[in-house]
Amino acid sequence: MTSAPSKLYADDVSLLVVTLDTNPFFWSTFPFPFADFLSQVLAFLNSILLLGQLNQVIVIATGCNSCGYVFDSTSDKNHGSTTGTMPALYSNLLHNLDQFVARDQQLASPHTPGTVPSSLLSGSLSMALCYIQRAFRSGPMPPQPRILCLQGATDGPEQYVAIMNAIFSAQHSVVPIDSCYIGSNNSAFLQQASYITGGIYYKPPQLDGLYQYLSTVFATDLHSRAFLRLPKSVGVDFRASCFCHKQTIDMGYVCSVCLSIFCEHHDKCSTCGSVFGQAQLDASAADRKRKA
Amino acid sequence: MPEVRIIAKNFMDMVASMQAMKLDKLYENGFICEAILRSLPPLAKKYVIQMLHIDVPVAAKLLEEWVLPDGVSKHRVAIDRLVQLRVFLEAVDRKNEKTYKVNPTFQRSLQKLLVQGGTLPRESMPSNITVRLPTLENLEAYALEQWECFLLQLISPSQVEKPLNISSSLMKVFQRRILSHRDKEAPKLTESGFQFLLMDTNAQLWYIIREYISNSEERGVDAAELISFMLELSFHVIGEAYSINTLTDFQRNIINDLADLGLVKLQQGRKGSWFIPTKLATNLSMSLSDSSSRKQGFVVVETNFRVYAYSTSKLHCEILRLFSRVEYQLPNLIVGAITKESLYNAFENGITADQIVSFLQQNAHPRVAERVPSVPENVTDQQIRLWEADLNRVEMTEAHYYDEFPSRDVFEGACDCAREWNGLLWEDSKKMHMVVKTEAHHHVREFLRRQK
Repeated sequence: MTSAPSKLYADDVSLLVVTLDTNPFFWSTFPFPFADFLSQVLAFLNSILLLGQLNQVIVIATGCNSCGYVFDSTSDKNHGSTTGTMPALYSNLLHNLDQFVARDQQLASPHTPGTVPSSLLSGSLSMALCYIQRAFRSGPMPPQPRILCLQGATDGPEQYVAIMNAIFSAQHSVVPIDSCYIGSNNSAFLQQASYITGGIYYKPPQLDGLYQYLSTVFATDLHSRAFLRLPKSVGVDFRASCFCHKQTIDMGYVCSVCLSIFCEHHDKCSTCGSVFGQAQLDASAADRKRKA
Repeated sequence: MPEVRIIAKNFMDMVASMQAMKLDKLYENGFICEAILRSLPPLAKKYVIQMLHIDVPVAAKLLEEWVLPDGVSKHRVAIDRLVQLRVFLEAVDRKNEKTYKVNPTFQRSLQKLLVQGGTLPRESMPSNITVRLPTLENLEAYALEQWECFLLQLISPSQVEKPLNISSSLMKVFQRRILSHRDKEAPKLTESGFQFLLMDTNAQLWYIIREYISNSEERGVDAAELISFMLELSFHVIGEAYSINTLTDFQRNIINDLADLGLVKLQQGRKGSWFIPTKLATNLSMSLSDSSSRKQGFVVVETNFRVYAYSTSKLHCEILRLFSRVEYQLPNLIVGAITKESLYNAFENGITADQIVSFLQQNAHPRVAERVPSVPENVTDQQIRLWEADLNRVEMTEAHYYDEFPSRDVFEGACDCAREWNGLLWEDSKKMHMVVKTEAHHHVREFLRRQK
């Protein structure tokens, strides 16, 4: 897997799609309050809009049961953003976010207590890509799109396939996925996403100065990235999830026909239906073990 | 040959050349800071945002560490620009190292803009007072029409059916560098005038605004105040009505001129009058940046040198006429051909091949704009540039011819003297002839006089 070549851009007009983790289960257990987080992010979004009149910012909220657009700087409702009157941005976004969180809560399904349900990152990535595809078709000079994932909750292994598909389609359309992971450990999904699409993965060591990290690292437009030394990830966790139990595994079985991954031996591939051979179980299993 | 060039996008140079005190006063206005920020090169913008909340000076070395080897020149341009505009203040710290700090006034204004948002000095009028506001499409059409009318009046006043009421003295200011007035002759476009016509609308607009501002001192208007009003105006919302009463007397005078240029539309209702900013006004701050203009083109160039321009505008026709032979005109289409004669005509008028090519490329019709190259190569590289090179085969240099030297020593001494001044063009040592550039002529003459 090689990281995607980046396109060369002549100017710095950018379309930034931000996915915002609103997972209540994560934020209620996290020491840094959501309100502080949000105020720093809002200032960051403002500064992106401040940088150029043609810049666009889209915010997609990532809940744990649904995802939704909460802000679009191009929509007519908040013409304020084009003039730079920020209160319009704030009030609009906060209003939509409130509505979204309430709606997301209604959809909640019971989960096993003691575990933190993961956020629907795959959903918001897909929505971001859909929006970008629409922007590509909008005219002869589409802005340069990039996605920024502000993620806190841990990865949901059950979303592995969907997320990887989103990553590959982003790679295909040359859209870098930047990720700013604020949770405690590293996120393997986001590391892979940024690595494969040529984006930046960064985990701010201190959340008090989040704005400074965001403006220093993630405010860099694609044009300027060709000239700057930006943080590179030291190591990328390439581990995959198995298709049968949705667990992250180091070693497993791979279907030779469709490349589905399983944590234990099956007689038949559950994805494509190929029948696996029975003999030399040990030898073939050793062959097909996969460690990325 | 002196090269006359209009540098249209250097409005910021004008701002940069202002006195530090005046500049700092300008930066008290958040909108001006925003406009200045947007005009900066991409890398410079990033540096400002990055340093916006840092109150202590940052070592220059620290900034350089971020730059890849490829970006060193861009980095330098960005830093130079920032220092020029006094956005970054340069200082030397105790360890004798260069440091940068964001101008505190600029920093405060921008921080305030980021956190609290900016409020315009005036609010748009409620819709129950304003009646028959134009739609956005109408407004854009109005602005473009007004602008083209202005341009046409600028270059050929006789063609205009209903002249704008711009005072003739102001019009003369605009025409100063574009038209040359010879005695008793019809005014002719100058070299820079031709170049002006080939620029895109934003660049033209800035050229005019720049002339307007640089002339302001003569009219007894404060340039700083004018600049701040213009930049402020660019943050008003397109199509919203703003009451004239919110303007100062000074601004009211200006707004009338701006209305003639198509930057605002003036309307009068039963309860007072108001102005409506058009796209041209809101583009003011945007067009400061070097980013390529994003508008739809209309020209298709074929490999057989035919030019099809899908346009109804008289102005476009005039522009095409500068370098091509217009063959026929349909209601929405101008058909012409690029010929050797038409190009020679253009070159004589001081238009360069690069300008023509970039005009054709910038205004390429969307259908051909996607192709690479948008203008066929055999037209651009092989002919337009070739024909230009044709004209440059002979270079003219004013010179003086010397002969009949009394002795070989004097001749050689004169040759050396001319060489010393870098002015020896040709010598024939057998017959003792030499040709010296005019610049070196009087040095050689002095030398010969001393020999006598």
